[in-house]
Amino acid sequence: MKTKVNRLMIGILMFLALPGMGQDWQVPADQLNIENPSSYNLENVKKGKDLYLQNCKSCHGDPGKNNHLPLVPPPPDITSEQMQANTDGGLFYKITKGRGGMPQFETTISADDRWRLINFIRNYNSEKEQLLIDAPPVNAKILASVNEAEKKVEILAEYEDKSGSYQQLENAPVFISAKKAFGNLLLGQALTDKNGRSVFSVPETVIGDEEGNVTIVVTLDENYKAEQVVLEEAKVGKPKEVPQLIRKEVLWSTNENVQIWLLLSYLGAAGAAWIAIGYVIFQLIKIKRFSKQ
Amino acid sequence: MNTIKSPEESRKVLDTIFSDLTRSITHKDELTRFWFFILIMFAGVGLWGWIIQIDQGLGVTGMRDYVSWGMYIANFVFFVAISLIGFLISSALHLLKISWSKPISRVAEQIAIAGVALAGIIIVMDMGRPDRFLNVFLHGRFASPIIWDVTVVTTYLTISALLFYLPLIPDLALLRDRMTGKVPAWKLKIYTILALGWKGNPEQYKTVYHAMRILMILIIPVGLSIHTVTSWLFAATLRSGWDTTIMGPYFVAGAFVAGAAAVVILMYIYRLRYGLKNYFEDFHFDYMGKLLVFVSLVYLYFNINEFLVPGYKMKTAEGVHLQNLFTGAFASMFWLVQVAGLIIPILLMLIKFFRKPLPLTIISVVVLIAAWFKRYLIVIPTMEHPFLPVQNVPDYFKSYAPTSIEIMITLFSVFAALLIITILAKLFPVITIWEYAEEKGVDKKYFSEQPKN
Repeated sequence: MKTKVNRLMIGILMFLALPGMGQDWQVPADQLNIENPSSYNLENVKKGKDLYLQNCKSCHGDPGKNNHLPLVPPPPDITSEQMQANTDGGLFYKITKGRGGMPQFETTISADDRWRLINFIRNYNSEKEQLLIDAPPVNAKILASVNEAEKKVEILAEYEDKSGSYQQLENAPVFISAKKAFGNLLLGQALTDKNGRSVFSVPETVIGDEEGNVTIVVTLDENYKAEQVVLEEAKVGKPKEVPQLIRKEVLWSTNENVQIWLLLSYLGAAGAAWIAIGYVIFQLIKIKRFSKQ
Repeated sequence: MNTIKSPEESRKVLDTIFSDLTRSITHKDELTRFWFFILIMFAGVGLWGWIIQIDQGLGVTGMRDYVSWGMYIANFVFFVAISLIGFLISSALHLLKISWSKPISRVAEQIAIAGVALAGIIIVMDMGRPDRFLNVFLHGRFASPIIWDVTVVTTYLTISALLFYLPLIPDLALLRDRMTGKVPAWKLKIYTILALGWKGNPEQYKTVYHAMRILMILIIPVGLSIHTVTSWLFAATLRSGWDTTIMGPYFVAGAFVAGAAAVVILMYIYRLRYGLKNYFEDFHFDYMGKLLVFVSLVYLYFNINEFLVPGYKMKTAEGVHLQNLFTGAFASMFWLVQVAGLIIPILLMLIKFFRKPLPLTIISVVVLIAAWFKRYLIVIPTMEHPFLPVQNVPDYFKSYAPTSIEIMITLFSVFAALLIITILAKLFPVITIWEYAEEKGVDKKYFSEQPKN
C-alpha cells in the first residue's frame, strides 16, 4: 500500500519535472549577482540548518551523504559541485521561484530565511570556513527534578570532556516533553546557564491525567549522547476532565451504581425461586421421614 | 379414569404396565451397545475438539472481531429453546387439567434436562478462557442480562431435575421392590437410595402432590424467564434485527415449536424401540400434532410481525439486514426455514393423516432442523452487519463461516444431549408407572404389594 503511494507520488513529481528536463535552469541576469544580505556567521548558519531540515532535507537528503530522493532530474546534494557552482543570487532565485519538482518557497519562507538557508549551503563550500561542524555526538548526562509546588523542572546537564571527566554543559538546549499515549509532546526548550543548569516552567495549559500528573521527559539535542530522563507522574498539569458516563445510577451501570429497583427485582426473583426450591427439597426430607413411620 | 377394578384384575394390569414400561431398562441388545458407542465416540471427538480450542484459543473458530457470536451461541439458543417444552407439557398442561399429556410429561422433562444442561455447557465452551468461568459469579454485574441468564439457566435446570425426580419416587420404589435379579446390583442400589425408603402411605403421596404443585407453579415464571432473558441478550442491544420489543415472546413461541417437535420425535423412538404402542397411542400423536400446529401458528404470527413491519419501513440499517435475509446471502436459508420449517408443516399438520405417528415424526424432524437454522439466522446475519465501520481488516473478518472444530464441538453438544436422554431412559421408565396405572383404575394400595412371582 505504502510503496504504491510512494510510486504514485514519484510519478507525479516526475511528471511535474518534465518541463525542466534536458535544459539548463536559466537564472535571469539581474538576479544572478545579488549578494547575500545575511552575514555568514554561526547563528545564521544554525538557523539555516533548522530551515533546511524542515523544508529541504526530505528531497535533497543529508548534506554530503548523497541520499536524495531518486527523482528526475535528481535533487543535488548541497555539498555537491553542481550545487556550490551556483551564485548566491542564483540559489536565491531557484529557491524563491522553484521549477518542476522543486517547489517555490516565495510565500512559505521569508526572504531573510531564504538567505540564511544559502548561508547554511555555503557552510559546505570549500572556499569558506566551515562554521558548523558535524562533530560526533558527545557523551552527556542529564539530572532533572520536578518542583511540583512551583510547577518547574530543574535540570543539570554535564558532558564528558576529552580526559573522560564530566563538566558542566554550558549554553546547550534542553528539550522538555510530556509523555503521552502515542509519543512525546514537546512542551518547550531551555538553555543551560554557565553552571550547566536550567529551569523550565511548565505551561499552565498542560493537561495531565485525572489527577493532573504528567510524565516529564528531558532530552538533549542530537549533538549529545545522553540518556533521557523520565520523571514519572509529576503533579504539574491540569487534571484531565473525564466524562463520568457510568458513575450514576443507570440501567446498565456497574454494581456500585446499580439501580435499587433492579437489584431488588433480581435478588427478589432469584431468592423467591430458590426459597421455593429449598421448600421442595424440605418436602423430600419429609417424604423420607414418613417412610420410617 | 377407568372404573375401579377387582384386586385380581388390578394386579394383572399393574404387572403388564410394569413389565411394558420397564422394558427400556431391562431390554439389552447389540443395538443398545452400538448406540452408546456412537454417542460416546462422537461426544469424545467433540471433547477432543474442545481441547484443541482451549489449547490454541478461539482463533480456531470462525469467529473474529466483528462476528464474535457464532454457531455456539446459535446452538445455545436452540438448546434453551427445546428445553422449554418441559415447562409447557409437564406444568402448564397439567395445571390446566389436561390429562392426555400426562404420559408425555417425563419425555418432555428428559428433553428439558438434557437441553438446559447442554445449554450451560455450550456457554462454557464458547468462552475463550473457561478457567475464568467463576468470575461470572464473583464479578458479575447485577445489571447485565448475562448474569440473569446464568441465574435462570441454573434455576431452571434445578427445577426441571426436581420435577423429573418427584413423580419418579413412587416408581423408584416399584423398581426397587420388583427388579431384584433383573438389573445389576448397582442399579438396584441407585433405586433404593433415590426411593427415599418410599412406603406409599397417604402422607407421602400428599407430600409428593404438594411439592409437585409448587414446582409446576414455580416453573411457569422461571420457564418464561429463561427464554425471555435469553432473548434479552440480543434485544438489549441496538443492533438491527435484534433491536425489537417482540424478542421475548418471539423466542418463547419459537421454543415451543422446537420443543414440541423434539418431544414427538422422542415419543416415536420410544414407541418403536420399546414397544410402547399402547402407551404412546395414536391419539397422543394426534394431540401433539395439534399442539405443534397451534404453537407454530403463534410463531408464524410473530414471524409475520417481526419481518413484515420493519420490512414495510426498510429503515437504513434494518433495511440492509432484511435485504440480506430476503434476497441476499442468507436468502435460501431464510426462505427454507420459513417455508419448509414453518408454513408447509402447518399446512400438512392441519390434515389428520399427517398427524399419524410416522408422518408427524418426519415433519417434526424437518421442523427441528429448521428450528436450529432459525437460531443461526437470528445470530449471524446481525453480527455480520455491525454499525461500526469495517475497515482495513482481512476479508475473512467480514463474514462468518463455522470451522470444522466448531462443527465438532457443536456435534458434541447434540450427542451429549442424546446421551443424557438415553441414560435417563435406560435408568428410569419413560412413562410414570404409578400415575399411568392409577389412570387405568389400579388403586394405590396395590403398588406397595410385593409381587408373588
